[in-house]
Amino acid sequence: MTLALPTARTEGWRWSDLSGLPALAEARPSGALPDALPWLDLPGERLLFVDGVLQQGSAAVGELPHASDHPLGRLAGALGPRLHVRGRDAIALQIVHVSTGGADHLPLELLVDAGATAAVVETFVGEGWTNRATRLRVAKGARLDWARRTLRSGGFVSVSDDVEVAAGARFVLAQLVAGAGDSRLDPTVKVTGGDAHAAVGGALLARASQRHDAQALVRHAVPDGTSNQLWRLVADERATASAAARVEVARDAQRTDGSQSLRALLLARTATANLKPELEIFADDVKCAHGATVGELDQRALFYLASRGVPPAPARALLTRAFVADAFAGIEDEVVREAFVADADHWLGTLA
Amino acid sequence: MLNISDLRAEVDEKPILNGLSLSLNPGEVHAVMGPNGAGKSTLAYVLGGRPGYEVTGGSATLLGEDLLAMAPHERAAAGLFIGFQYPVEIPGVSNVQFLRSAVNAQRTARGEAELSAGDFLRLARAQGSALGVDMEMLKRPVNVGFSGGEKKRGEMVQMGIIDPKVAILDETDSGLDIDALRVVGDGINRIMRRPDKAVLLITHYQRLLDYVRPDFVHVLSAGRIVRSGGAELAHELEREGYGAVAA
Ligand SMILES: Nc1ncnc2c1ncn2[C@@H]1O[C@H](COP(=O)(O)OP(=O)(O)OP(=O)(O)O)[C@@H](O)[C@H]1O
Ligand SMILES: [Mg+2]
Repeated sequence: MTLALPTARTEGWRWSDLSGLPALAEARPSGALPDALPWLDLPGERLLFVDGVLQQGSAAVGELPHASDHPLGRLAGALGPRLHVRGRDAIALQIVHVSTGGADHLPLELLVDAGATAAVVETFVGEGWTNRATRLRVAKGARLDWARRTLRSGGFVSVSDDVEVAAGARFVLAQLVAGAGDSRLDPTVKVTGGDAHAAVGGALLARASQRHDAQALVRHAVPDGTSNQLWRLVADERATASAAARVEVARDAQRTDGSQSLRALLLARTATANLKPELEIFADDVKCAHGATVGELDQRALFYLASRGVPPAPARALLTRAFVADAFAGIEDEVVREAFVADADHWLGTLA
Repeated sequence: MLNISDLRAEVDEKPILNGLSLSLNPGEVHAVMGPNGAGKSTLAYVLGGRPGYEVTGGSATLLGEDLLAMAPHERAAAGLFIGFQYPVEIPGVSNVQFLRSAVNAQRTARGEAELSAGDFLRLARAQGSALGVDMEMLKRPVNVGFSGGEKKRGEMVQMGIIDPKVAILDETDSGLDIDALRVVGDGINRIMRRPDKAVLLITHYQRLLDYVRPDFVHVLSAGRIVRSGGAELAHELEREGYGAVAA
């Protein structure tokens, strides 16, 4: 089978480079697990997928209503784990995806019933091409917190999320990309009920010749929704970090409050950052604050730190850490938030 | 301790320091006064190694070592502290984080063990309270939202925690209210009035010198020391202005 992939000329794909995917898809997985898996010390269920196959934990596998229509997500098909939080349950779940090489594709569904609560921490490690398509439904008054870390040693991670948030529900998606390899994140969130809230954002840390690209969309279909999209990008060496965040407000979606904050920090003149906030607003009574800035580390702050004895590398790390921190502020669970901060610190600790 | 000889420096190819010489011996407090634009802050920046300030001649040694050959952070570890006329704001980095990184980086550079979190916090609390800066303020981002006077007090807390050998304090008195001036003056005496330390106070006014009595007063004009004397020179300047004294 030949892979039909978007090219740089496809709308929304010019900042990604998918040219390595066919070779990754050809490769054979080694099957060798890493010595330590990145579980956090949290209560709840654990699901371990190795090369797309469930190896630990239990999840009902079945046919999703349909495959994703996302250009990469559709490759995941419709057969995958279907998780369902019923009644007024509160669940915690950790998912780890290990790739030992090659390519694997998997869809995943999570339904959170009215009034229920789910907190998911999902971590990607390994080196092949890991392609995921999620279908997440947050019912009336429900709450879903999804924290996703990509801590890879190479290869490519692509995740497309298809999320619907019903009336009075709350959805928070926080992502961190801090590792080797490339990534492409495509969260699409539809706010389908009033008084619902969606937060979609994260931090992309890029170095070497990596390319990390996030293309987020929040669509307000009904009145009285709030959303916020906050992305912090760091690019060093010859890397490219990109984020597009789009908010669409339908004609009926009066009193929508949607904010977008996109900021990128270039740690080297040879690095690239692309930011694109987009607004498409058809309602007239709407608040949409947005900003996008690309900058460098503040030279005056670096000298101030140096004058107090902090050498250049830790000084850069300290300022970069402060820059990135905003992206984790929305993570409610302290253990999860601290893990994200520690992962970012680990990345920063190896700054040249 | 600090020996500056015939120092010349320029910024954006404009000569600012034009052969400046000054020596600080252990236990001494020197005051440098001079008109706006004379080059006082430039002297502090050049000694601190701020990028963009190019040394074009002369020398400066700290405890016998070539200060100008060191990177800025190495100068700090060697014992130099600069109190800035305009302290920099660092959003997102708390004073505690900033100072703990600073102290431990200096200790590591000197081959000493790092301070534990507990020991550092005890030190920070003690130095802060001596200067009327509480822990709440130390947990806030560096200088962000601080009033002018709070920034200057904050700088003295930093100096107390870092415990340098030589301090160059650039208009630490500006922006301080009458009570704060006394607190800061006491702080400078407590931290730096030691037989093995030296201070260079850059100031426009006599009032700080009432608290921190200088052993020597110098007049800096057009990038050079044009006159030196004892504490009485500051009074003379206050009475007669630079025009008469430094002519
Ligand atoms: N980047 C620069 N380019 C050109 N000239 C500069 C630059 N920075 C400083 N100068 C000039 O250098 C001279 C000395 O400035 P400096 O700040 O050292 O003065 P100062 O003695 O500290 O004055 P004040 O008493 O007002 O603080 C001034 O004339 C100033 O305009
Ligand atoms: Mg000045």
